Amino acid sequence: MLKDITLGQYFPGETVIHKLDPRTKILVMLAYIVVTFCVKNFYGYIALAAFIVVCVALSKIPPIFVIKGLRPIMVFIIITALFNLFLTSGTVVWQFGVLKITYEGIRFAVFMVLRLTFLILGTSLLTLTTSPISLTDGMETLLSPFAKIGLPAHELSMMMSIALRFIPTLMEETDKIMKAQAARGADFDSGNILSRAKAMIPILIPLFISAFRRADELATAMECRCYGVTENRTSLHELKFQKRDMGATIVFLVLTAVVIAINFIPSK
Amino acid sequence: MIKLENVSYTYMKGGPFEKKALDNINLEIGKGEFVGLIGHTGSGKSTLIQLLNGLIKPDCGRIMIDGTDITDKNTKMRDIRFKVGLVMQYPEYQLFEETVLKDISFGPSNMGLDNDEVKHRAEFAANLVGLPKELLSKSPFDLSGGQKRRVAIAGVLAMEPKVLILDEPTAGLDPAGRDEILFKIKDMHERMGLTVILVSHSMEDVAKLADRILVMNKGNKEMFDTPENIFRNSERLTEIGLNVPQVTKIVDELRRRGMPLKEGVYTINDALYCIKKALSKGEELC
Repeated sequence: MLKDITLGQYFPGETVIHKLDPRTKILVMLAYIVVTFCVKNFYGYIALAAFIVVCVALSKIPPIFVIKGLRPIMVFIIITALFNLFLTSGTVVWQFGVLKITYEGIRFAVFMVLRLTFLILGTSLLTLTTSPISLTDGMETLLSPFAKIGLPAHELSMMMSIALRFIPTLMEETDKIMKAQAARGADFDSGNILSRAKAMIPILIPLFISAFRRADELATAMECRCYGVTENRTSLHELKFQKRDMGATIVFLVLTAVVIAINFIPSK
Repeated sequence: MIKLENVSYTYMKGGPFEKKALDNINLEIGKGEFVGLIGHTGSGKSTLIQLLNGLIKPDCGRIMIDGTDITDKNTKMRDIRFKVGLVMQYPEYQLFEETVLKDISFGPSNMGLDNDEVKHRAEFAANLVGLPKELLSKSPFDLSGGQKRRVAIAGVLAMEPKVLILDEPTAGLDPAGRDEILFKIKDMHERMGLTVILVSHSMEDVAKLADRILVMNKGNKEMFDTPENIFRNSERLTEIGLNVPQVTKIVDELRRRGMPLKEGVYTINDALYCIKKALSKGEELC
């Protein structure tokens, strides 16, 4: 059932990028974030752009889906750019009253925009190519060494997978309840804020009731199957590093090396 | 009363999970008809009934309700929803008010009627579905499953729709509750001249109640005919994951073994009559 619902923004596929071990992808992503902030001149971004373009091409995801990931933070990017543009001190290029643009400001603004863009493009590539379930699997194994110092790695990832698992169910439920109330003439999108908030009551009450009911049923079902009885649970899907994971890591290390090397090229 | 012309509907159009739910449906349902709607899971039944009261809009085609084109942008959807009452699957999960009476009143008060009229309609609807008066002041969450279901149906009936659509109204009820709800529906259909569309997985129920049966298969209209003509095609029905009433199976088997019985028998009374006739014609059996 879960397969038929778009969750988050996962775009199913069978490509190399999809098949990579989630741990590889998470670690490479973390390192990639660091690398984006290490870039010191524009040539570095050309290398990053090449990396992203190759990844997107390999994953066979329509580029428009990747670019769509930028939309929600567009405002944030623009505000950051404006702040950098107007509030950096240095050689003044243009001035109008209190507003002034400096050469350094332009440089910072462009850098900030590029950094954030690459950050989002990269992370959305991770969530586009990795199903939420394997993402939590990956996180669990990555966090498991910390279990020794008392971090409940398994419980955390279980909570996360349950939460993720129930997003589509609750969305479906909300849709059903909204339709049922609309069929009884409920009007959700007219009137002022107060009357709109009031119109939510016929949706929220049944939704909460059903969420509690489902949570209760799930707890019973888990207990019926002896969840939590054994100390060391084994997993149906063992994660295994494969050749392609090695390949991906090498490609990424090369990219890192290139970026660092480029940093030494003096930019004007 | 209801007319569909070349109606198609696709879920998640353009996305990675695109799914065609209805493919070029043409259909006409007359005033006061009782239509049974059957089809296996995912055949497009639920999509079809949601189209009929404007909860979803078709990709193309026209839907006429009582002479109004509901696919037209200027049609007020709420007016259509008051005219076409839809009881969704497991409708008891939509209850939310403090008391049963208030919950039943939700629909009619959305219509902008005055309080007396709303109360009158709610009490009338509660009576129709057989809810005793003392339950009306209780919380709907304290009722039994069957009673909750009746409250939900009453909530739609209180809007006094001209067409009543029910999506598996008896799913999950015990046999007594099931028979009672079906009897009430049939009763209302006869007494008030309501046009009824009943979605059901029970061939027996549809056979017993419907004037005509609409069979859906993979988003297409497979058959739309009288029960007699529908249940003649037991082979085709089995092929598309459906069934025929048990009594039809018995009669078909008897015919296969050489008894001269007609095709498309779907009620016990009819079967009894046919078998008796066939027996009396043949040699005397003791």
